[in-house]
This record gives sequence, C-alpha cells and structure tokens, in this order.
Amino acid sequence: MRDVTDELGRKIQIPQNIHRVVSLAPSVTETLYALGVQDRLVGDSDYCDYPPEAKQKPHVGGTISPSIETIASLHPDVVLVTKGINRLDTVNSLASLGIPSYAMDPHSVAEILTSTQRLADLMGAAQAGDTLATELRRQLAETHERVAPYPPRRVLYVVWPQPLISIGQDTFMADALRYSGAISIVNEPQSWPQISLEEVARQQPEFLVFSGSHMASASVNIDALAESPGWRILNAVRERRFANTSDAIERTSPRIVSAIAELAKQFHPEAFKVPTTFGFPAGGLPPIPTQDAPLPTEVKPTPRPPQAQLESIGTAECACAR
Amino acid sequence: MQPANASTKEVRLSVEQVSYAYSPNPNQAPIFTLEASSFQARAGEIVAILGPNASGKSTLLKLIAGTQPPLSGRVLLNGETTHSLTPRVRAQRIAMVQQESPLLFPTRAWEFVLQGRHAYGGSLQFESANDMTIARNALSQVTASHLADRWMDQVSGGEKQRIVLARALAQQPVLLLLDEPTLHLDIGAQVGLLDTLRKLANENRYTVVIVTHELNLAAQYADQIVLLHKGKSLRVGPPGVVYQRELLEQVFQTPLAVEMESSGRPRVTVLPTS
Amino acid sequence: MRPLTFTRLIVNCLYLAVILFVVMVIALKLGAVPVSLYGLAADLLQVLFHRTSALSSNYDLIVIDIRLPRILLGIVVGASLSVAGTAFQALLRNPLADPYILGASSGASLGAILTLIVQPYIALPLAISVVFTPVGAFVGAAVTIAAVYFLGRRDGTLDSNTLLLSGIVSGSFLSAIIMFLMSTLAGRGDLRGILFWLMGDLSTTLQPSLRWVLGVGFLIASGVIYSTASDLNLMLNGEKEAMHLGVDVPRVRLVVYLAASILTGIAVSVSGAIGYVGLLVPHVMRLIFGSDHRILIPTSAFGGAIAVVLADTLARTVVAPSELPVGAMTALAGAPLFIYLLRRKFA
Repeated sequence: MRDVTDELGRKIQIPQNIHRVVSLAPSVTETLYALGVQDRLVGDSDYCDYPPEAKQKPHVGGTISPSIETIASLHPDVVLVTKGINRLDTVNSLASLGIPSYAMDPHSVAEILTSTQRLADLMGAAQAGDTLATELRRQLAETHERVAPYPPRRVLYVVWPQPLISIGQDTFMADALRYSGAISIVNEPQSWPQISLEEVARQQPEFLVFSGSHMASASVNIDALAESPGWRILNAVRERRFANTSDAIERTSPRIVSAIAELAKQFHPEAFKVPTTFGFPAGGLPPIPTQDAPLPTEVKPTPRPPQAQLESIGTAECACAR
Repeated sequence: MQPANASTKEVRLSVEQVSYAYSPNPNQAPIFTLEASSFQARAGEIVAILGPNASGKSTLLKLIAGTQPPLSGRVLLNGETTHSLTPRVRAQRIAMVQQESPLLFPTRAWEFVLQGRHAYGGSLQFESANDMTIARNALSQVTASHLADRWMDQVSGGEKQRIVLARALAQQPVLLLLDEPTLHLDIGAQVGLLDTLRKLANENRYTVVIVTHELNLAAQYADQIVLLHKGKSLRVGPPGVVYQRELLEQVFQTPLAVEMESSGRPRVTVLPTS
Repeated sequence: MRPLTFTRLIVNCLYLAVILFVVMVIALKLGAVPVSLYGLAADLLQVLFHRTSALSSNYDLIVIDIRLPRILLGIVVGASLSVAGTAFQALLRNPLADPYILGASSGASLGAILTLIVQPYIALPLAISVVFTPVGAFVGAAVTIAAVYFLGRRDGTLDSNTLLLSGIVSGSFLSAIIMFLMSTLAGRGDLRGILFWLMGDLSTTLQPSLRWVLGVGFLIASGVIYSTASDLNLMLNGEKEAMHLGVDVPRVRLVVYLAASILTGIAVSVSGAIGYVGLLVPHVMRLIFGSDHRILIPTSAFGGAIAVVLADTLARTVVAPSELPVGAMTALAGAPLFIYLLRRKFA
C-alpha cells in the first residue's frame, strides 16, 4: 500500500500496483484510454462515450448518483472522480466501504496536462504519461506558434442561448480559448454566469463559439438565432461567424488539445494555410503505445528549439524560429 | 297586527306537487327528502313552513327559490316557473335571507346592501344614484339606517340579520324567502324582525315565506302554515286550523297544550315530560 | 356612503399608469449599457415613425432591440400574473391562492423541459423551431388546465374546494415528474438552461409572432375576467348567496377558471415561473384600493407590471454585466412583504 495525495489535497491509501479502476467522469475515461491503460478500467459512467469502446465497459450509473453497489461489486482498487462533475457524497459513501477515491481538479490547460501525468504516475504508467504530455505540449506549442502573430479574437462562448449562459474567466475552457488565439469577452468569477445580451451587443464579439453536444441540430438553431430580436444586432450573428467544436472543449482530457487546434483554425484561418506538421484526426490523438511496442513511424515531430514554460505561452514573446 | 285584506288578490306563488330526491351515489336508490307538496300564496301573505329538523323545510325553500329543480311538480311565480328563470331575472323577483357564510374581506353595511342591486346592473356594473337611493330606503325600512357605515363584522347578530334583510329588499323582489331567520336572535330581536316582515308584507305587498320551527312565532305572524314531517306535508292552512294538538305532538314528538287566544291565533305550550 | 364610480376607477388607473411610465423610463435608462434619456426619446420617436434604420448609434439599437422588448415583456407578464392571482383568490375564496396553485405552471415547465429534451432529435422547420419551447410550455399548461378542470368537478360543475385540491395534487405530481427528469438527465448540458428558466427569467427574446399572441391573449383573458368583476365581489361573500343575488355561479366559475389559467399559462410559457407577484400584488392593491374587483383587477394589473419591471431592472443591474433570475428578486422582496402583510391580517 502507498499513501497518495490527490488534487484536492486528500490523502488516500492505495495498493502499490493498481489493477482495477472505476472512472466516474468522461474526461477521466478518455485520459485512461489515451494513456493506454484502458484494460485496467473495469467500469465507467453512463456518460463515458469517448472513445466509442468505452461504452462497452460495465456501467455504474450517472456521474451524479452512480450506484455504489455496482461500483463495489467491481472491486476497484481506486475510483477516479473529478471535482467539477462528481459529488463529495459519492466519495464519502465509497470511503465508508473502504474504497479510496482519487479526485482530479484541473482549472487550466496546463493543469490538465499535469493532472494527466499524475494520473499516469498513479496507474504506474509514468512513461506513457510523460510521452503523452510531451506530445500534447508540442501540439499546443505548434498551435500557439501559428496564432501568436495575430491579435487574439474576442469571442463569446455560448453554453446556452436562452437564457444566455457563458463561461467564467477562471474556467479551463476560458484558458483553452486563450490557447486557440481567442479571449472570452466574459469576465465573471462564477463558472457558468448568466450574461446580459445587452453587454454582448455592446462588446460585439468577433465569434460566437458553440460546442458539440447541444448543437446537434446546429444549422437550424443558428438560423433561428439569426432572426431573433437582440441576437440579430450582433455582427457575429449577421456575418455568421460561428466557431464550432466537439464537446472535447468541455472535457478536462487530452482531447482538449485537438479541440483547441480546431478552434484555432476557425479563429485564424490565415495562419493555417500551410499544412501542419502533424495531422491528427479531428476526433483525437492516436493512442500512445505502451512501453514495449515500437514507436509508429508516421508520427515524426520536427525538432524544435526549446520552448518557454507552457504557463507563460499566452503572455510571453514567442522565442521560436519563424 | 292584522293581515291586510288578502282575499281579493290573485294567487302569486303556486307550489304544485313538488318533490325532491337525491342519490348519495349512483348505485343507491334515491332518498326522498320531500314528497309531493303543494300550497299557494298571495301578495301580502306570510307563509310559515313549519316542522322539526330534517323535515324537508330547507329543501322546499330551495325548490321555491328556483335554485334546485324539483324532481316532480313545479313552482310558479306569477305564472313563470322559478327554475327556468335566468339567475339574473330570478334575483329580480325572489330574494333569499339565510345563514350567511363568513365574509372573507371586510365590508361596510351599505356596500353589503348595495349587492342586492347586482341583478339590475349594466354590463360594467357601476351603481347609479337610483341604486344608492334604493339601498338607503331598504336600510330605513328595516330601521338600520344608523348602521350604514359600520363594518359587517362589527354589528350584533340582530343588526346583521336586519342588514341582510335590507339587502334582500334592495332586490325589489315580489317574493321574500327566509330560512330560519330567528335562529341566533334573542327574543326581542326575533319579535322585531317578524314585526318588520309583517309591516313590509302589508305595506309593500311582498309575499313572504319563512322556514321555521318556532311554533308560537309562526302562529302569531303567519297567514298560512305548511306543516312538514319527514318530507311529507301533513297539513296546509291557517294556524287555527293546522295547530291541532295530536297533529303537533306527532310531528314534534313532545307533549303540548294548544290554546286559542282571543285574537283567533293559537298558542302552544310545551308540557314537561315527567 | 361612497360607492365606486367609473371616474374614480379611471383616475386611480391613471395614477398607476403614470407610475408605470416613470418606472419604464428608469428601466430603459439603467442596464449593462449606458443610455442617455434625450437620445432615447429621439430614437423612440424614430421607431414610432418606422425609421428604425435612422437610429443614431449602436447603443440605441441595443435599447430598442433588447431592452425595450424586455421591459414590455415584463409589463405583460407582471400584469398577467397579478390579474390571474386576483382571479384565483376570488374563485377559490382563499387569500393564499396564487396563479400557480392549480398546477398550470408545473404543466408549462414540464412542457418546456420535454421540448428541450426532444428538440435535438427531431428536425423542425425553422418557423416552428423558434417557437418550439414556448409553444410546448403552453401546451403543457393547457393539458394541465383541462385535467384539473375535469378532476375539479363535482356534480357536473366546478366546485371550489375540489378544484383547489385537484390543482394542488396535479401540481405536485407534475413537479415530481420534472424532478425525476432533471435528475436522470442531469448529465446532459441542454438542461443547464432550464434551471434558470424554472426560477423565472425575462431575458428570453421573443419572436414577433409570439409577442402578438402574448399581448392579445393578455387583453382578451383580462377583459373576460374583468367582465365578471361584479360577480366576483358577490361570490366572495358566499356562493349560495351570490346565486340568490343573481350571479350565474357555475358559468362564472368556469369562465374565470379558464381565463385565469390561460393568463398564467401564457405568462409562464414565455418567462418561467416568477414567484410572489401573483400572490402579493393583489393584497397590496387591496390594502390601497379596497376589495372591489372592479377596481382591484385593473390596479393589480398595473401593480404587477410595476413590480416585475422593477424586479427585472434590479436583476439586470445588481451584478451587471452578469444577471440574476428575476424570480430571485421577487422572492427576496416578496417574502418580507408577505410577512408584513400577514401581520396586518390581509386588511
């Protein structure tokens, strides 16, 4: 057994080697697959839908009220939760059954990456974690290079149109926007503030950003919005300047990096006229191979001079050869 | 007081073989609360519907008022069936005085009496000067003018009864119905109320029908008695005719003595049972 | 002896109309975006003469396209809820009645939630999808109104006590279904918006077609209720007595029930369940103007409009540019006011 401190500062006791985990958050499930340790995932939530294979895993219920019994019946060594989605009650109930829970709580893109590495350490896959993190940082830096010369776009991230709900400045989504060469016009401390349409009309954002899940009938809704009083005086609506991405932007998982790149292409198309050196599919990264398998030969990162720390990418001058 | 000369008037109210029954639930046979009953009344007459509790008195009154259709028979007021009148027209002809539901919001006496004018109102229903005059007169007719500005929850039982009567008078009806009007009144108020009714019947030619179980009051003031017992009308006629000792004892289930007074009206004394 | 006259009615309504106008001007001036009154007046004139394209600045466009419709919506919603509240208090002879007591608002909320759940999965023509949620909410309200009507009958006509009971039970049942749906579908992001809506929210921008329906619906339903004002006065003192005084009680009950429920349904369908307005405004107006419904109904309409516009202005400005739900404002002001009125025993 070893003592581990999770991201909320909780001390838990877990076995030296983790063989069985249950994930109660979609972002955690994605991360486990990206780290290549999915065969140790014995159960996940009903909402864990990426990658598609995750839906085949045994389900333990929703994220807010999972079935404690089902989790217990799977005999996990540790249960993985996130502060934003799961409840403390669940953690306490599991603890009373002797099942430890490890909580993750990243608030920025950088924290997502470190969180991923710490999870990898927890799972005994530190090497995979480092490799993944390095690759992700490289892709982020690549995106940043492309968009850095251009002034960031002022955008409004629309969580919900009526009533108008956006994201707070301290959320990881706002941080992700910064990486994609944009800045959210909303400056509120709450995570999901309801914003006055008047204020948006005054600020006239350059883009409206929507994410995958509730824009399934996207084209119809956008046209409806364009006719609505109030919305139609937004230049972004009149000129149909909408940016769209999958729900990856709302998950604290490795896939957020690809969502950032997708958004960057929409905010600064002129920066992407030259094809990128890495052409990963819009849906996500290829799985990082385990230690024993040879590296795939088609992924050939171009060697680059060392970059500044990721945290300062948004503000510092880019010291790259461009 | 003596009744005015009623014999030359034609029949105003004709109750013809009315009966009523209801079923507590659809599978049960109906229970008759009133079996075929009849009587007639003229202008200026006071009729007392007399009987113990659960004898069908209130049912008969409701049938006369027209708010309940009779199972059989009909009630004619000046030739028109009371039940077939619209509520508005009915309120212009028939006024009811009964136990009042408690008032939800405070009301002044004059506002209360003005409600009697509702049936005459136009579509926007704002009261006219004429309505005000009628309401004022109604209050003076029951000698309650001094109560006009009082709140209804601040008057005594007897005063409240007079104001309710004033509201009924404001309807300018031809038929006045009263359901146990003397129930919560002291003797002085009871006599005062009935004196007023007698005066109104004489002077304004109202036809008055009172439901009561007060044997002596009915004897003193009524021109006609309708004696009900367990839903059946046993006798209809002037008090002197109806008040037979055996009949009354059978109906009221208690030993009585009946004496005729010099006025021609009977007086009933309840005898001790021991 | 001083009965209500037409003149007194008009004069009191004019006082309130002036107050409403002042409140409107204040509401137009305040908000996340600064506005000058002079420029505003000039722009309103332009709009009146249909010269919208000649508006002087972007800010004015904001006011005309966003703020003014919102204020007008608040006026109609506030007036609808207050008139419905007055009507229900008379119909049920219960001073604690509010427009939601008979379940129409739970039905509307459920209808709205169902449309939100279903909308991503069905393809709708544009004209319908823009009004899908409000129409769905109104359908929910209408179904509930019909169900409560049939449950609330005794011997073939509406009975006040039976109506009250069936309304409360239906409302609870529907609320339970709503809670069930919200908990089982909690993972879906769509439903984040419904929470704000359930608390009452005026920020929904309405399609012009809906605006007409709202305005005309309010005028017709309120007019119908007002035509029974005199009857309601009498019915409050007892239904049997009212019948003997010439009121067609079953007809009035049915008419008032339908009209007040439709008023509630319309209001909730476009703005969610804004609380306390329908309950308290009638009582405040009663304190000032008396219980005669011929004056109480129009003054309640004005009072409700004023209350909602004030509450909404606060909701828009207190944490600007962020917004609070207007239902939170009415509750914050309404609860202490309710206690104060309780102590005065609904004079």
